[in-house]
Amino acid sequence: MKMNRFVVAAFFAFALLLAVSAFAGTGSKDSPAPAVTATSGGSTQDEDMRLEGEKRFRANCGRCHMAPPKFAPRMVATIVRHMRVRANITDEDRRQILRYMAQ
Amino acid sequence: MCRLVQWSRRIACACLVALFVMCGLALHAQDDGFKPVPILTGSAAYFTRVTGGQFQNTPSVSPLLLMPFGDKWLLEAKGNYSDTFAKEAGDNYYGSTTAYGLGYAQVDYITKYVTVTGGRFITPFNIYGERFGPNWIRALQISPLCSPLTSGSALGGMLHGGFPAGSENVNLNYAVYFSTNNTHHLLATDRSTGGRLGFFLPRQRVEFGASFQQVLQLDRPHSSGAYLLWQPYRAPLSVRSEYVRSSGTKGSGYWIESAYRLSQISPLRRLELVGRGQQFFAAANLSAATIKKLGAFGKDTTQADLGLNYYFRSDVRASLSYGRQFVLGTNTNTNLWTVGMTYRFLMPLGPTGRSM
Repeated sequence: MKMNRFVVAAFFAFALLLAVSAFAGTGSKDSPAPAVTATSGGSTQDEDMRLEGEKRFRANCGRCHMAPPKFAPRMVATIVRHMRVRANITDEDRRQILRYMAQ
Repeated sequence: MCRLVQWSRRIACACLVALFVMCGLALHAQDDGFKPVPILTGSAAYFTRVTGGQFQNTPSVSPLLLMPFGDKWLLEAKGNYSDTFAKEAGDNYYGSTTAYGLGYAQVDYITKYVTVTGGRFITPFNIYGERFGPNWIRALQISPLCSPLTSGSALGGMLHGGFPAGSENVNLNYAVYFSTNNTHHLLATDRSTGGRLGFFLPRQRVEFGASFQQVLQLDRPHSSGAYLLWQPYRAPLSVRSEYVRSSGTKGSGYWIESAYRLSQISPLRRLELVGRGQQFFAAANLSAATIKKLGAFGKDTTQADLGLNYYFRSDVRASLSYGRQFVLGTNTNTNLWTVGMTYRFLMPLGPTGRSM
């Protein structure tokens, strides 16, 4: 009986954490970085950044596997962090690929 | 006995709570303006293999949990589960063998030039184990003959990373590690150390490097290796190769593989042609008892494989391959057929904000 109460408390704690996280997720931090939102403007600089990101994406990710589809930016941030560890890609490549994939 | 059960329950519950708390904390990580979200990804596969007339059906699943923390931390844990249904010669029924285990479970602290990794991680020797291990990535489902010599996992610490080496056209990547326990079935030891140094030329899309591994006890055998990756701009072609040489009784070998995507032919754009050639050379002067103990690694072997991959989507793939294996000295030639499907799944474990 004591055990059940403990499990129920744990699930409540988890639900509370998720709720807090969900509210935090709707805040301003969840929005893409200003540099990324600006890319929809279509200026030459933004286009250059997009091309650079695409080039690095194909050179780094395409070395081992087929190009994945685009995911939500927060998922891309996790995937790119994982690939920085797994494939030892450089910090600049990670940054450019993250911007490109999150567009 | 009752107290033991109570304690194990308490520990299990504590682990559960810790996981939930970590999951909540992970949802507050930050990366260049994006808050990375914990992810459950991995692959599921079903393959039928026919090796010299013997059928094997193997469903498998390999989940991978990714939990980022703050700006620089990442927790990764990968498990494997597979069931192999096989029929022995003369039998009328399929027996099953279950295999499961932890692929790796590591914590990473990431900085610009170095990533510090602790826990159980894939041994950084050449590239097959680290990059082509997942069955949704590898072009041929049959692993290279010499890959068990170099793949495996280590328990300890690793420093690794990648950065531009003085020029935008040269990226250097490196890894050095120390393992207190290598569970690899051939190199089963308590302590080993080693590393890898590689160079990636982004303009030429060429990567090459070398690896070294030293066992720190018993006969202190060592392994050295080299690898090459090339993706020419002019054709949708990938060329990969590895070479490994081991001291002691482990032998040496190499493999070269090419994958050509028929993206230039519209009706066949989802198709990929794969070919691999490889040779394994057993160590010289092995005794009959050692050869028996080493099994396939006690004999010189040559193998050629051809394969087809069809991508229904980027995450669903059907594969077919045929290989022919020649074991020298025994005049044994074997046909190797593989047919099956892989599915890569990926799901967030928290709110993702806007979707693309």
